[in-house]
Amino acid sequence: MLKMFIESLKNLVSEPETIKYPFEPSPEPKGYRGTIHYNEELCIFCDKCENICPPGAIKFVVVDYETGKKEYNYNPYLCIYCGACVRECPKADEGCLVQVETRTPPLGRSVPKGKELGYFINRIDNPKEVESKWREIEELNIKTKEEYKAYKKAKRAQKAAAKAKGEE
Amino acid sequence: MGKIVVPFGSQHVALPEPISFLFDTENEIITKVEAHIGYVHRGIEKAAITRFEYNQLPYLTARVCGLCSITHAGAVVHGIEKLMDIEVNKRIDYLRMLVVELDRIHSHMLANGHVAEVVGYENLFMQTFRAREDVMDVLERITGNRVQYDYQTIGGVARDIDLETAEFAKKKLKKLKENVLKVMEFHDSDYTFGLKTKGVGVISKEMAAKYNTAGPIARASGLETDVRAEFDYLPFEEVGYKMQTRKEGDVWARNMVRFDEVLNSIEMCENILDNLPQGEHQVKVKGRPKGETVVRVEAPRGECFYYLKASGKKVMDRVRIRVPTYANIPILKELFLGAKYSDAQAIVLSFDPCMSCTAR
Repeated sequence: MLKMFIESLKNLVSEPETIKYPFEPSPEPKGYRGTIHYNEELCIFCDKCENICPPGAIKFVVVDYETGKKEYNYNPYLCIYCGACVRECPKADEGCLVQVETRTPPLGRSVPKGKELGYFINRIDNPKEVESKWREIEELNIKTKEEYKAYKKAKRAQKAAAKAKGEE
Repeated sequence: MGKIVVPFGSQHVALPEPISFLFDTENEIITKVEAHIGYVHRGIEKAAITRFEYNQLPYLTARVCGLCSITHAGAVVHGIEKLMDIEVNKRIDYLRMLVVELDRIHSHMLANGHVAEVVGYENLFMQTFRAREDVMDVLERITGNRVQYDYQTIGGVARDIDLETAEFAKKKLKKLKENVLKVMEFHDSDYTFGLKTKGVGVISKEMAAKYNTAGPIARASGLETDVRAEFDYLPFEEVGYKMQTRKEGDVWARNMVRFDEVLNSIEMCENILDNLPQGEHQVKVKGRPKGETVVRVEAPRGECFYYLKASGKKVMDRVRIRVPTYANIPILKELFLGAKYSDAQAIVLSFDPCMSCTAR
């Protein structure tokens, strides 16, 4: 008991173990798993990151069936920051998908912006809309993929028919 | 005096997680117990065979529990690797062992701190948690996150450990060892702490064997059971693993067994960091899991059991999880009978119950 009393008295003069967080910044430690940054120019649209993502926070939406152009949508408020997408990305070494060491700011009155966060979050201004708009993206993701598949199939059939006609 | 029913939980200041007990008491002596678990059921077993593919499972099962997330992820990774015939190299084994042992250290420190808190020794609780902070820092540095580690992946670990991190870990572990020895001394010899813990909730060796208890609870009664020695999943013997047992079987002994294990784990971690083999931290993975297998791993609370079944598809056929807390609840109920109500908190917390594991 006495020993603990002395130990407790020592605490009065020793350095504090905690930081005064709201008044002082709480820096991320080295190697922290933070936000996922994306570079569209390097992307080969293999969809590997979308397939591995455990919570489904990365969704590609096909915007143009002619060229097959896809848009990368990333929801940083659904992401669990596990880094599986970065490990899966074949172009990660070149910097297509990178996990940076800074946190995503909590969802308050404003939404974080930036080209590296993908299309989804840049198109939203009201933080209350994040959830409902993400549901739309999820539906679009399924719908456009199916339609694109059907479009490609139809085009292939068309080509085959044209080829058959030419041979005649 | 008549019978008085005292509810304990599901919300109670002494309980870190929701479990509910209904005690029938007569003159403060407990005569009948009713336990209710399952307040935090999330349907993870069902999600594992419907929504998630086999390569997403480690991330899902890591979220079964916050304290032993490394254990659950490790168990499912080990099982899937067995089903896919993946051989990992020595370095991966050692890195996995390192995080598993660090996980055990912080879980045990938390459990011991909670016991100190519920017996009314707030000061000791704070000292224990202060010492625990070092191991949290090491884990955060190695894996990149404080609670959800996501370190083990199929065919390796998420990231390699560099020289700087290893030095940082060694420095912190040295400091941790000093602090643990200091806190252990208080737990060991403090008079007021002893009053509330020594001779309370005694489990004899025969009782422990009869009820098939697991983990530190069994080892505190002198029953030699540890999956690390029984089931070959990681080479623990190579890095200096020794089984820790005590004979007393009371709340105090359960705390001391945990401290003994913490010291053993620190020694193992230091050995691992000193003798880390060379190699890649990821091996190539091909194919899909097929067949069925059983995995036993030693979670901080005891034996954690996984049954996995797959048939070459992306989604598994069955994932069954049995966690140590569930195995320890029958004896917990038995212990309450005849005990004083004022000792109930110490008995429950000395079992280190993890309800989010149990309810899944």
